Parts: sequence; structure tokens; C-alpha cells
Amino acid sequence: MKHLAWIVALGGTLCLGLDGQVKLPSYTREVLANGTVVYFVQRTALPLVSFRVVVKGGQESEPAGMAGLSAATAELLRRGTSGRTANQFAEDLDGLGGSFLALEDEQSTAIAAEFLKKDFDAGLKMVADAVLHPSFPPEEVRKTLARRGDGLKAAKDNPNMAITSYYRSFFFGSGHPYGRMADEASIDRIRRDDIVAYHDRMYVGRNLIVVVAGDFDPAAARARVAETFGGAPSGDAYRWAADQEPPPNSSPRVLLIDKPDATQTYFVIGQPGVRRSTADRVPLTLVNLLFGGRFTSMLNEALRVHSGLTYGASCRVEMARLTGGIAISTYTKTETTEKAMDMALDVLKQFSERGLTAEQLASGKASLKGTYPPQHLQTAEQIATTLGEMEIFGLGRDEVDQFFQRVDAVTLEQANAAARKYYRNANLTFVILGNAAKIRSVAAKYGPAVVEKSVKQAGWAANGSIL
Amino acid sequence: MRTIVTLVLLAPLVAAQETRTATLDNGLKVIVQEDHAIPNVAMYLFYRIGSRNERPGTTGLSHFFEHMMFNGAQKYGFGQFDKQMDDHGGNNNAYTTRDDTVYTDWFPSSALELMFDMESDRMRDLAFDPKVIESERGVVYSERRLSVDNSNAGALRELAEATAFEAHPYHWPVVGWPSDIESWTMDDLKAHFRMGYAPNNCVLVIVGDVKFDGVMDLARKYMGPIPRQATPPEVRTKEPEQRGERRVTLSKPAQLPMIMVLYHVPDTKSADTPPLQVLGTLLGTGQSSRLYRRLVDTDQLALSVNGMVGNSLDPSTFNFMIQPRSGVDPAAAEKALYDELAKLGSEEVPAAELRKAKNQLLANHYRQLKTIEGRANLLGSYELFHGGYEKLFTAGEEVEAVKAADVERVARQYFTARNRTVATLVPERPEAREVTQ
Repeated sequence: MKHLAWIVALGGTLCLGLDGQVKLPSYTREVLANGTVVYFVQRTALPLVSFRVVVKGGQESEPAGMAGLSAATAELLRRGTSGRTANQFAEDLDGLGGSFLALEDEQSTAIAAEFLKKDFDAGLKMVADAVLHPSFPPEEVRKTLARRGDGLKAAKDNPNMAITSYYRSFFFGSGHPYGRMADEASIDRIRRDDIVAYHDRMYVGRNLIVVVAGDFDPAAARARVAETFGGAPSGDAYRWAADQEPPPNSSPRVLLIDKPDATQTYFVIGQPGVRRSTADRVPLTLVNLLFGGRFTSMLNEALRVHSGLTYGASCRVEMARLTGGIAISTYTKTETTEKAMDMALDVLKQFSERGLTAEQLASGKASLKGTYPPQHLQTAEQIATTLGEMEIFGLGRDEVDQFFQRVDAVTLEQANAAARKYYRNANLTFVILGNAAKIRSVAAKYGPAVVEKSVKQAGWAANGSIL
Repeated sequence: MRTIVTLVLLAPLVAAQETRTATLDNGLKVIVQEDHAIPNVAMYLFYRIGSRNERPGTTGLSHFFEHMMFNGAQKYGFGQFDKQMDDHGGNNNAYTTRDDTVYTDWFPSSALELMFDMESDRMRDLAFDPKVIESERGVVYSERRLSVDNSNAGALRELAEATAFEAHPYHWPVVGWPSDIESWTMDDLKAHFRMGYAPNNCVLVIVGDVKFDGVMDLARKYMGPIPRQATPPEVRTKEPEQRGERRVTLSKPAQLPMIMVLYHVPDTKSADTPPLQVLGTLLGTGQSSRLYRRLVDTDQLALSVNGMVGNSLDPSTFNFMIQPRSGVDPAAAEKALYDELAKLGSEEVPAAELRKAKNQLLANHYRQLKTIEGRANLLGSYELFHGGYEKLFTAGEEVEAVKAADVERVARQYFTARNRTVATLVPERPEAREVTQ
């Protein structure tokens, strides 16, 4: 491969306004008597229908010490329901050629399912059965939790994945919801009663968003959704916590993870960022694209294109409900760890001090607009995801419909102000994974003290498991 | 819902989107599917050259070349391809397999002519700058460290395939052996370019907001003048029949073991491919599949299990990958796999289960048609591996035609002990290794 995906996808059916601005296709939004918010959006290019059920809460809503509870609950939805055993559910789903996935993020759980148009009724019933009436058979609960525990072990065999968990745990700390990563201890602590209680509390009308997208008969669809999801108890809407910022560093902090057989070093350099609702989201998305969000970004140009130190270097701005991080990440062979880290820091410093040129900004605008619609509005599922996010984050359709104008309106001064404000090069958090014996002295360069942990130790947290 | 009904065939729907083709005098085949629902285009160039066209000493060169194609040509110099792409709202990537090298461009339709200009520039006049080559060598080595050296699955797969293929070029990894990555020379690169990068060795697929006549005008203008060349030499070596199980182990510090089991099977054009695909689906797709139910759910031997056969020009392997649970003897998981394979060869698959597997296979196939890039990739892959893009439109019928007896026959024929290679990753404690050293 030339590179790992920089999120590239095109195609689909986006709608172009007369001004060249992409628009969301027409959709309806209604609130059922029990509080469930329902969206319908029709896309008839293929005879398929997609159901996306979003449950508010996600990682943020997990009780202390129970990291992994929302994901385990979601995985178990289909493993036994009021109407079907786990095996019957699997047989029925596969028999229809349907798909059913449970996904989790910082603030929500999403169930994404897809069926043929002709199976609308059967598909919707299966989804509602799983989401609203799971029976959580004790044996299935036991098996799922045991598998998740082993899954954590397997994750540590994949350093490119593991570094993210180590980074989040260290950067946010146990006091921030985003720092509580599921580990062996938290999975071990979860009981069936916790899962049942979590489901009873969170999978309720006032906490549900249902998006139906694709090819269907609108009147019949409305009636079927009311019959199924309209029957859920109203319950209480999840009460979002107040925003919480990652703990600020008073000096640089360094975590070194020892994996003695590693032949390359993986590292993340993090600093506090923004939340999704920030007024700076468009300029920040634009400047991050140029700094570390595309193949010709400053980071990738420096560390890959011009020096060959790595296969890829990037920077991600977390856009979640609570304030998250801005994280540079890359990897390089053990011997060039210091060179690559210094280079990443140098690119950061240059960007912070010098910002962008007008030419760079124009290129960023073209590429953001050229790639945005295909990534968000291409298929029925993408539109469903976009609508679900709008609802979760309390955004209006102008978020999409005026996106191009907002991108075009960003001035060079605004872009450079965002670069100066968010890309600082002091008091950073460093998480480094590699052969510690060879890079220990390098790690010591970046902060007054280095916290060390081995991949063989349980958990992700620097000081054992988080309670 | 206890009965499983036949999935409605969507093939007519796909065919309804008219696909047109023409071949230039220099041998470049162009396949176009117009789709004006969106103002975007997917432009895919399939070059018929991959790691099977390499030799010992230059393994990985096709993949390295995939990288070099982005490092400048005559008109668009170093970095210009990506810069122009970004400036015009486009995006790109590329991939290399054992059989082909594919360049994938996605862009607003307003950039179509620019794309033809850039693609023809690098097809004809690639630049070879020694400094750039050294830098890119580092990038490719980093990719290898990421996907093989520091990946248990990648390292085990490399060992398994090198063991299953002794003679045929599928023996070596697409990314190349480390010592070859370190040693390619400028002459190797130039020879490879001459061997593979010519219009008559390329298939150009364009799907999206274009007009067929407009595409052909641009193809003639920009690619028409590029001369044809000799195509890569025929790959003569055929893998001899395997006569006995081969077992290898990989010792590596790891939390969990891993197992790969490979069986030799024919190439994609074989009549046995559809039954093997159906078989792979009923074994490994979905939580109702036989291997998931047995190994992951009932016996709780594995975290995950999958089995698949990919596209290939030459006879290849059907690969199973098992991630055993902690505390599970990998041999127990391996035995459970063999039990399930033996059942397939001795007991007829029930009609409902066969129907289910076909529905899954067809549904997954059609899901790839949702996007213009999905269709561009399928059209090109069918052209290269199935002997013609039009085979895509009858793929559903071929799956439908598979009978229970076909599944039973291919299971018996290919899933034998003598035809198999087993590679096991055995977790090793780092301290133990240091002592023995």
C-alpha cells in the first residue's frame, strides 16, 4: 500500500446545491411519545435499508471501575433476546444476508444494521428485539466477558493498536472519563447484574435515536418503527456530565512502554484540544488537515516524504463531547527514534510559530471540500451516521448544508490564530512504546521523569489498574 | 422466521448501469461506467505486474515501485502528483498484490483531464532520483516493520506462505525480504519499469461522473502516444503438488499463540472457485457459521477464526487463521478445525444452510457496488482475475449454480492432510530467549 487510509472514500449520492455547496438530502425527524427520536431518509439507488440505533452515553456513562461495560452490553444484545436464542438470531440474520454491528465511542453506542428492502419488517423486528429485549443469558455473559479479557491480551500483541490505549490512559488519567480504558481488572469486575442495570437505565426511549436510511415505503416504515421502538419505556434521558478538560501538565510527562522484541518505536505526542461543539471546529479541522491530516501534510512530508523515517506520520484532533486531545502519532525504526521525535517536535514548533501560507490554506480548503461529502454523505449508512451525530451533539443541518461556505470563509488570520492557539510545544505528553533498553536514554530527553511500564504488566494505566 | 428464502438477485441492476469499453491502438484497455448521481470520479489503473513477476534478490520490487510512482515523473516532478491531487480536491492510494499493482484516484470530475495528464506522465516518463530512492527505501522498510516484523499475524502469514510455496513466486512476500529491500539497485528499478509499465499491460477503469466519449478522447490524447512494450515474461514455474503435511513454528514474544492453516487450491478462473467461496462463507462468515459456532462459541477455543481464498492468477491457497484463547492448547483448536472440514467432506450440507451461505455471499458482493470506487475495483479485478469485467454481471448466477455435492467434493479434494501447511506462533518469554542466547 502507498499509505494507510487517510479516510479516503468517494462516490455515492451527494446533493449539490446551486452554489456548489453540498446539502443533506431531505429527511424527516420526529419524536415518539416515549421520547425516541426517529429520522427517515430515503436513498433508492440500491434496494437496501440501513437501521442505525444510537444510544446516548458511551464510554462517558460507564460507572467507576466498570470500563468496558457499555461495549460488553452492546456485544451481548444479539446473544439471546426475548424472541430468539443467540444461535437463532445468528441464523436469521445470516439467512437474510443482513449485517448487524455494535460500535462504541466516547459518548454513544451505535447499532448499525442493514437488510434488503424486501426484508424491512423482518430486519427492523430483529434490530428492535436485540436493542430493546435482550435476555443476557448468564452463560453468554460469561463467555463474552471472558473473550473480552483475552481480547485485551491479543491487543497487546499489536503495538500499533496498543499504543492508543496506553496513550489515552496516561494522557487523560483516571479522573477523566476518556482515560478509563477497559482492562483485565475492569472486565473482571463486571457482573451480569451490572449489564442488566446498564441496559435498563440507558436503552430507554428518551435516550434513543433511530435512523432509517435507504429504500423503503415511508408510511409503512413510520408505522413499523412506532410499533417497535415506540414500545420502549421512556425512562430518563442520560444526564450529560459537565465538560471536563484533560489534566494540564505543569511540565512535560513521559511514559515509556517496554516491548523488548519491538524493532520499531511507536510514539504519540499529545496536548489538550477541543470538544466537538467548539466554535473553532472548522478552522481547526482545516489547519489540522494541513498539519497532519493528509498525505501531503507537514508531518508526513517531513517524516516520510523527505526523510524516509516512517511509513506514515499524522495528527488527530479528537472531536468528542468532552474536551479531548490533539495527538501526533507515528513510528520509526528503533535506531531513529530520537531523530523522528525531534523532527516531529520541530514540525510542531515551526507550525506553531509560522503557521500557514495563503497557498497552503487554499489547498487545504480544496481538499477538505473535495473529500468531505464522500466521507459523510455518500451511502445511506454515512448519512445515517451524520444524522445521528447531529442529534448527539445538538447540531443543526447547517453543520452540513453550510459547511463549504464556512470552510471558504476561514481567513489566513483565523487559520494561523488556530495554529498558534492549539499547537503548542510546551508541557507535552509523550507516550513511547518500543525496546526500552535501547531507547530509555532517548525517552529521558523529553521530560523531567520517565514513567516506565512493560507490555507484560496487566492493564494500560501507568500505575496498574484504574479504579 | 425459520425458513430461508432466496436472496433477490441484484445482478440485473448492476448490468443496467451500462458499462462500455474500448482498446487503444497501443493496447490500453479502457472500461467506463457512467454514473452521474455524483460529481465525482473513481479512476483505477490496474498494471499486470506483481510480486509473481519478481525473482530472488529483487523481491518486493513491485511494491517498492508502487511507492516510486508517486515520487515524480517528467512533467510533474517530485511531490507534484500528490500536491496537484490535494489542490484539486482529490485523493489517492495504491496497492500491490502478488499479481497486480493498482493505482486508485478519486477526484471531482472537473479534475479528469489533469488526472489523465498526470497518470500518462508517470506511465511514460518516471523519474529515477537516487536520493529519492534511498528515502523511499526507508519508508518501505518501515511499512514492512509495521505489517510484518511487528505484527504477529503478518509474520506468521509470511512464514506459512513461504512454506506452502517452495518453487512458485508466491513463496516470497509482496513487501519483499528485508535483505532485498536493502539491496535493490537503480538498474533493478529501471528494468522493472520497462517490464511492467506500458499501456498494453494496463487496464484503465473509470466509474463516475464522466461521458464515455470524453474519456476516450482524453485517453487517446494523453495515453495514445505512449508506445507498447513487451509484456512481463511468462511465469513459468509451477508449484509441484504437495505430498505431505508441512509444519512450521514461529517463536516470538507474544501474549497469545496463533495458527494458520493453508491448503493449495486452483487459481481464480477455476470452476472450483464458486464452490470454494460458498464453502468459505458457510465455514467462516457470521456468527452462525460453522467455525465461529464451534471454535469461538461452543468449545470456546478461539477468540476469532476465519477462512478465505483470495484472487490469484496462479494456483494459490485457501487460508485459515485461528487466534486461540489464552490457556487453550493450539492443537485443540487445530483439531476442531479439521473436524469441521472433515464433516464438510462427508456429510451433505443441508439445503437451508447452503441457501444461507449463498445469500450472505451475494449480499456481501452487492455491498461492494454501493460506491463508485467499489465498482471500479470490482470491474478491474474481474477483468484481471476472472478473464473479463463482464463476468461481474454473472457472478451471482455462478454462486447460485453451486450444489451441495460441489461443496462436498471440493472439501474432500482440497482439505486433505497431505495438501496442508500448518504454521503456529508459539509465544516465547523474552527472558528465556536472552538466556539461551
